[in-house]
Amino acid sequence: MAKLMKYEFRKTLMVKMVILGLTALLEIVYLIGLWCKQEDMLGIGVALLPLTAFGSIMVTGLASVVILHRDMNTKQGYMLFMTPNSCYRILGAKVLENGLSILLTGACFFALGALDITLLVAKQGQLQELLDAIRSFITSIDTRLALDFPMLASFTVNMLLNWFSVVTACYLGVAISAALLNGKKLNGLISFLIIVLLSSLVSWLQRLATGTIVDFKTTFLVDAAVAFACAVVMYFATAQIMEHKLSV
Amino acid sequence: MKFDVNLPIWLQVMDSLQTDILTGRLPPGSKLPGGRDLALNYGINPNTAARVYQELEKASLCETRRGLGTFVTEDLERIARLRHELALTTLSDFLAKMARLGISREETIRMLTEEKG
Amino acid sequence: MLESKQITKVYGHKTAVDQVSMKLMPGHIYAMLGPNGSGKTTWMKMAAGLVKPTSGEMLFKGEPVGIASRERIAYMSTEPYFYAWMSIRDAGLYYADFFRDFSYDRFAELLKRMELTDDLKTRTLSSGMMAKMKIAITLARDAEVYMLDEPFNGIDLMARDEIRESIIEHASPDKVLLLSSHLVEEMEAIADQAVYMREGHLVEIDDLEELRQSQGVSMADRYREIYRHMEV
Repeated sequence: MAKLMKYEFRKTLMVKMVILGLTALLEIVYLIGLWCKQEDMLGIGVALLPLTAFGSIMVTGLASVVILHRDMNTKQGYMLFMTPNSCYRILGAKVLENGLSILLTGACFFALGALDITLLVAKQGQLQELLDAIRSFITSIDTRLALDFPMLASFTVNMLLNWFSVVTACYLGVAISAALLNGKKLNGLISFLIIVLLSSLVSWLQRLATGTIVDFKTTFLVDAAVAFACAVVMYFATAQIMEHKLSV
Repeated sequence: MKFDVNLPIWLQVMDSLQTDILTGRLPPGSKLPGGRDLALNYGINPNTAARVYQELEKASLCETRRGLGTFVTEDLERIARLRHELALTTLSDFLAKMARLGISREETIRMLTEEKG
Repeated sequence: MLESKQITKVYGHKTAVDQVSMKLMPGHIYAMLGPNGSGKTTWMKMAAGLVKPTSGEMLFKGEPVGIASRERIAYMSTEPYFYAWMSIRDAGLYYADFFRDFSYDRFAELLKRMELTDDLKTRTLSSGMMAKMKIAITLARDAEVYMLDEPFNGIDLMARDEIRESIIEHASPDKVLLLSSHLVEEMEAIADQAVYMREGHLVEIDDLEELRQSQGVSMADRYREIYRHMEV
């Protein structure tokens, strides 16, 4: 499994490098703006960095769907499907690698954001204040994390499980397109509609399950549980289709 | 080696080895390559190579010693007799061809003695 | 060892392989012959587990092909299939990661014989170099069945001898070698069985030495006889 994940990571390396490059560029713009008091550059950084963070997480997720599509529809797929691995493992490696990548991307942007805000606060004041700011930031992280850790963790888990349901819906759509509709007209459109349909189905189920619950925390939990259940069902359906119907 | 693909390949390889044995290029008692090496040397299927040794053995030109490999026979008499037989066949083929050209036996002998090879 | 039972593959309106039943026995080198589109590649891909049959089944040692058979069957497709980022070395390490029967040492030795170095990028290889690389990586496995689709394609005369030699080296009484090619004359001497395919059907399987001995007919002669009436 680890080996499969290693190669899934390698396949998405290019996308990750582009994200890294873009982020580094914007960060440099931001830092120059901050140090040289260039309001325009600072503005660009402040506006675009959060946008990049959000976009990067989306792109990282989508990249995995695009790669699955490529593995199923080009000669490159031989490389993957001739190995003695079941489709459950192959697909599982993709889901896990993607989940980890998204977590990592999220964590990196979180850390970068925290650093940038601290620097901004510090730069506004004097040198003495810089040290104070860093010190207070560190302590604030300490206390805030201690206080909000369960909240932060449950938010992350909820987001991740929801993301899994989206990604597995996309996998299922791609698998149906490649294995069952291969060669049929409107293949792409149909599979897109399937993805939309599956995603709405998941949301509908989530609304249905959480409809009468008032408590915020329970809503969060039930919502995540439904997403996870849907993701598992779609994962199995995709692997089944791949195992029995997919010809590369 | 270039093969005539319309004739069994084992027969052609066997002919080639037989000639080497009869002329002494492969001396009596010498070790022959293993089946796989024979296949590699001639670029032939290993089953074909195995067949070559089977047939050579059947003709008593070589023998397989368990665990040691295949060796050219040390029966000099056998080699000489086979060589003689082969010479006779070649000769009668040649004479038949000359006869077909309308050249008499005496004429053939005269041509042979005058021929500078 | 490898057996198909009434195997059929339909792509849309085209039947690529039609009710083919055949059994490949260990200890033989099979030449799989037939014009383009006769079903050779599709049959091989079904045996490799890459293509799923529409009906019928493919068995390896009596079991349907799947994860277990992929461990023991080495397949080389005609098309290059390596990831764009891979060097020859990366591709070898990939095989080493997934196939227990793969030996990097044997791979390195085969590359040397094919006059390739493992620092080359697979993306930049000429078609001849790619063909040699694919053979080297496939034969570096110690499998029970080797299926090589068009091993002589795009390979110059000198290298063909090298490849023929590597193929003979891999033949063994407990292995099956299946080679497809339209270069019939390249396979006359190394194959001992010929499998003729036509329009998705199996025409016949011949023992080549037997055919030469009883009828004075070569594989190429038989090929011409079988496909003469086809509009190619």
